Amino acid sequence: MHKKRVVVTGLGIIVSNGTGKKAFSEALFKGISGVKLISLFDTSGFKVKTAGEIKDFRPQDFLGDKGLRTLDRSTKLANSAAKLALEDAGLEITESNTNDTGVAIGTTLGSVNSISEFDKEAMREGAHYVSPALFPNTVINSPASQVSIRFNIRGFNTVISTGFTSSLDAINYGADFIRLGRAKIVLAGGVEELCIQTFLGFYKTGFLAGLKDRDIELSCPFDERRNGIILGEASCILILEELGAAMERKADIYAEVMGFGTAFDPYRVNKYTLRTEALKKSIEQALEKSGLTPDKIDYICSGANSTPDGDLVETLCIKEVFAGKAREIPVSSIKSMIGECFSASGACQAAAGICAIEKQMIPPTINYRKKDGRCDLDYVTSGARSSGIDNVLVSAFGPSGCNSSLVISGFRS
Amino acid sequence: MSKRIVITGLGVVSSIGIGRDAFWNALVGGESGITEIVSFDTSAFPNHFGGEVKNFNPYEFVTKRRFSRIGRASCFAISGAKLALEDAGINPGVYEKDRIGVCVGTTMGETQILEKINEDWVKRGVDAIDADSIPRYPCNVLSSNVAIELKLKGPNYVIPCACAAGNYAVGYACDLIRSGEADIMLAGGTDAFSRIAFIGFNRLFAVAPRKCQPFDKNRKGMMVAEGCGMVILESYDSAIKRRAPVYAEVLGYGLSCDAHHMTAPFSEGIKEAIQKALKESGIAPQQVDYFNAHGTGTPANDREECLAIKKVFGEYSRKLAVSSIKSMLGHTMGAASAIETVACCLAIKNDIIPPTINYETPDPECDIDCVPNVARKQKLNVVLNSSSAFGGNNACLVLKKPS
Repeated sequence: MHKKRVVVTGLGIIVSNGTGKKAFSEALFKGISGVKLISLFDTSGFKVKTAGEIKDFRPQDFLGDKGLRTLDRSTKLANSAAKLALEDAGLEITESNTNDTGVAIGTTLGSVNSISEFDKEAMREGAHYVSPALFPNTVINSPASQVSIRFNIRGFNTVISTGFTSSLDAINYGADFIRLGRAKIVLAGGVEELCIQTFLGFYKTGFLAGLKDRDIELSCPFDERRNGIILGEASCILILEELGAAMERKADIYAEVMGFGTAFDPYRVNKYTLRTEALKKSIEQALEKSGLTPDKIDYICSGANSTPDGDLVETLCIKEVFAGKAREIPVSSIKSMIGECFSASGACQAAAGICAIEKQMIPPTINYRKKDGRCDLDYVTSGARSSGIDNVLVSAFGPSGCNSSLVISGFRS
Repeated sequence: MSKRIVITGLGVVSSIGIGRDAFWNALVGGESGITEIVSFDTSAFPNHFGGEVKNFNPYEFVTKRRFSRIGRASCFAISGAKLALEDAGINPGVYEKDRIGVCVGTTMGETQILEKINEDWVKRGVDAIDADSIPRYPCNVLSSNVAIELKLKGPNYVIPCACAAGNYAVGYACDLIRSGEADIMLAGGTDAFSRIAFIGFNRLFAVAPRKCQPFDKNRKGMMVAEGCGMVILESYDSAIKRRAPVYAEVLGYGLSCDAHHMTAPFSEGIKEAIQKALKESGIAPQQVDYFNAHGTGTPANDREECLAIKKVFGEYSRKLAVSSIKSMLGHTMGAASAIETVACCLAIKNDIIPPTINYETPDPECDIDCVPNVARKQKLNVVLNSSSAFGGNNACLVLKKPS
């Protein structure tokens, strides 16, 4: 079957170390961290004080002053990133293309603050007094739907919630819809806001860094000192376009979306394990569907998030898939700079992969100081590195059992 | 669209019955599952009725140990999945588990887990929140829990596209089989009774006091409900090979977004989804024998949906049978369109259209044939299942009698 090709023609990103493709790309290659003291909520009483919080986020800079009053932070972030992405792609949604344009967003806890506060307000104030205008924010597909409403995108609007893999899964969903001929343009990516609910969730379940006295509160993937996640927040939206449509409007093409693989590991409940089977399978599937042998991968944009077993299991998988070549392939984790943005992470990693292809440069794993004997790959720990990059492998996985991998390649007609 | 996809198993957990036969008998009998709400105290609300699942014994489906670690929506999903597998005659133990996936739609996810967290938080402070309950909340657990229970390693997705989520999930699951990602998919939707939804719909004045009356001139709104619908999807070839009974073939589906308003339904968007579904399925409007409506019973939904039906079907809309099973079940949120798919499969199998009950007074704005109050025997070949959701999202599925 002749398959339609899917390319990336725009990138909108808002994350703690940069807003917009240019700023994000610069921060990435300079190794700038976006992790700072949390100011969105009061952290007194908690041992953990830092996160990859987006400071000074002013949605009106992107969206104007109107229609923002009842929107939650995730929705404003998603809309702002969508606006940046459309502008970056030089794309306007009009009556002639709106029905061929869709939205596919990965998020899992993007609405949890709205949902929880709505319920708590009703409990405190009485069910008669909670504002009905805030009720629409309590559906998980609200941030994505608001993107369609604001930019008049009528083709389809889908949200994928698979935890850590959500936005990578959403990018693949969007690409699938283009391949199936259901859409020509898809705004695909993810959003996850930093809020007290999400923080509490990761804090109380013991996933955060710095929870124990001897533990350092730092995102330092692959480093022996790693002991957990530094949370982040982000919205990242890619403009996916059918190649023919992109060429027709003479769009700048950043990269091509290639093969994707996904596999579930049902032998655990919400914890990292060292079982490699599922992540390995997702990587192998992604390579196979891209028609690439392992030696063709030039850079692995890793999902490692500074958890002891998470970083190790990815290292083990890379060794199993890439065998003798494993140590020659640069592997880096941008989560060292932006923290773990949960469902938005995969899209941010894809964005980093696109920047890497554009600049022919690999972003570093920052905060790396102490070698862990079991994590012994090339983690690009002493600053960004110039390198020939055609094919980037992006991997996403988490403690829930979902594993997804995507290949993004430099565009060749 | 090369590979043909069929439905070979049905699982349902609902206020009118658990399991295929109990559900279908109640549906054909026009029974209502609406009762006084017991999940939480409703004394602060003007309305006290909803569609809760009664007589649900989780231990028929999961062990005590599993039950203590999952929320009600997951428990419904596992139960629905097991019922569907049994119905399809599939023992997942003998299949390649890499090739079986799960795709689940939802609106509120494990809402009761979060509601308990909120309650502890407000009444007793942050420290009182039970840490063990936290990982049971994020909505991605719905499909994970099904896969963990059944040890399934294939694609695993939750699609939280609100009240049309079931159709999104079944549609995408078909895509995954067509593209070779899986051989068998367990797909559907699940939602547990939600205090948050109940508060919200009451604040929107969208809740009916006692009964749901879709298409009736005096309809007063929807009823909040809960439940789960799951179907087994596989390729036609696989079903034939294992001599499985086939309920229906999924011809195609259509999605659309109104891009208009978060909560107000909009006929143009509904029309668009129906037309896309028909086009993808290669079906002309006049070939549709039965239209399973979203039919929530709110004044706006039923008006806009009827308008969309008239736009798509023109003159034929007067002859087309349209019914809403929400008149019996209430609105089961993300489970609704999945349960409706189960109903459509059984309608096709039995050549019977389930009725719209509680219908009393015709509404000129809804002048369609809503199969009022009594089930109807009618030969069914092509059936359409339409659904709409918050955010202006619409999803429509086309099913056909197996040939």
